[in-house]
Amino acid sequence: MRPLLALIRREFTGYFLSPVGYVTLFFFLVATGVLFAGVVDGLTRSGSQGVEYPFAALFGENLFWFVFAFIPPLLTMRLLAEERGTGTLETLLTAPIRDWQVVAGKFVGAVLFYLVLWLPTLAYLPVLLNLEWTTGTSGIDPAYAWVSYLGVFLAGMMFLAIGLFVSSLVKNQLVAAMISLAACLVFVAVGYATPYLDANGWPARAVIFLSVPDHFRRDFTRGVVDTRPVVLYLSVTAGCLYLTVRSLEVRRLRA
Amino acid sequence: MIRVENLVKYYGEYPAVRGVSFEVPKGRVVGFLGPNGAGKSTTMRILAGFLTASGGKASIAGHDVFREPIAARRNIGYMPESCPLYPEMRVVEYLKFRAGLKGLGWGERRKRIDYVTERCWLKDVRTQLLGTLSKGYRQRVGLADALLADPPVLILDEPTAGLDPTQIRETRKLIRELGREHTMLLSTHILSEVEMACDSAVIINQGRVQEDGTLDAIRTKHRTDSLEEVFVKLTGQEGI
Repeated sequence: MRPLLALIRREFTGYFLSPVGYVTLFFFLVATGVLFAGVVDGLTRSGSQGVEYPFAALFGENLFWFVFAFIPPLLTMRLLAEERGTGTLETLLTAPIRDWQVVAGKFVGAVLFYLVLWLPTLAYLPVLLNLEWTTGTSGIDPAYAWVSYLGVFLAGMMFLAIGLFVSSLVKNQLVAAMISLAACLVFVAVGYATPYLDANGWPARAVIFLSVPDHFRRDFTRGVVDTRPVVLYLSVTAGCLYLTVRSLEVRRLRA
Repeated sequence: MIRVENLVKYYGEYPAVRGVSFEVPKGRVVGFLGPNGAGKSTTMRILAGFLTASGGKASIAGHDVFREPIAARRNIGYMPESCPLYPEMRVVEYLKFRAGLKGLGWGERRKRIDYVTERCWLKDVRTQLLGTLSKGYRQRVGLADALLADPPVLILDEPTAGLDPTQIRETRKLIRELGREHTMLLSTHILSEVEMACDSAVIINQGRVQEDGTLDAIRTKHRTDSLEEVFVKLTGQEGI
């Protein structure tokens, strides 16, 4: 347990020692801030032009996820690729720590920083929930909020696991970022196809099963926990983490 | 303490190590010699658990490096060839992290870090960034890391490569001192170093053991006073 905790600690604090962490945090806050401003604008409009579901306006847009897809690769690109590139992987893998612990430590470190990324957005909640300051009750069902956050947590885990796996395959951070971006975009870009497909046919169902923006538009931002996307996120996460462990083993055998 | 039996390692089609066997008894300091590309680093990496052998057996303190990797690694302090370090960390931060990885408790961590920084002359760079250290200091940090968990076996891959003469002398002195407490396998090109610091030597060439024994035995066998003669005879071409 001690080796694992030491590794998580290093991975997490590592984000604060390099500029990548701060740059990611900056761009993420700019993106969510612009969206929030747009939603507030919509909420305060008079007449029928307003926003019905504030969380859907925030996290249910294809554009948001298109921009968001750049974030996880930035967080995961260095995890294993950098260690392979600089050779520090040798000191890490010769320490008395199991391969799965190495992968788990890196993954948990990345997930913790990912949560830090979302932390400042909690400041938007009182406005979005129409919170009554004196009584502490919200004007709309709080499930919209916490289910949305559950969704971004689970979807984020999936993207981070994909990034970690890609990072274990290459030596160059930039290459790792590019490939994992491409992989993450698969889950976002299919969302653009939904309006053009017959809603009852199997292609549309398959696309909706994979499309993260659709999951948020239809379910999470409306307070619905649909098990299908949850199963997708968790199984892709588990699959990628497993493959990462195996890829470390393969590296030992090859060279 | 270190036992290697018929070790084989292929890189794709190329056999880097072809049936290496040797043994390092407890308390012995053994020099691991050979020209570049002879398979020294590969053998050491297999012992340290960074690579998996294609065939053969290796064990550290009775623990097979493949079947009981964690138990074997607990007994090893390993210093890789170029001493890769995280440039963004400070010396003490790095040692704390490594001590945690090696499973040391909080109290012990502090004690051991104090000990190794003293021992490897790192006191005056404790808070310096690893990326700004000179080659000599990087090497010392690597050595300090190897000593952290006080392992019975030390495996050092070219601990004096790229150091200046003063640093070489310091490191050599340190190695001699450490040799009293640890079983040690160290690879090097510098033959005078082996003559000063080691009890015996294993000479390998093209992935095979050419000579294995105490320094005196090797010299007597080849009827010469210098190890260099033996080395060139075994590994070089005729007439050089």
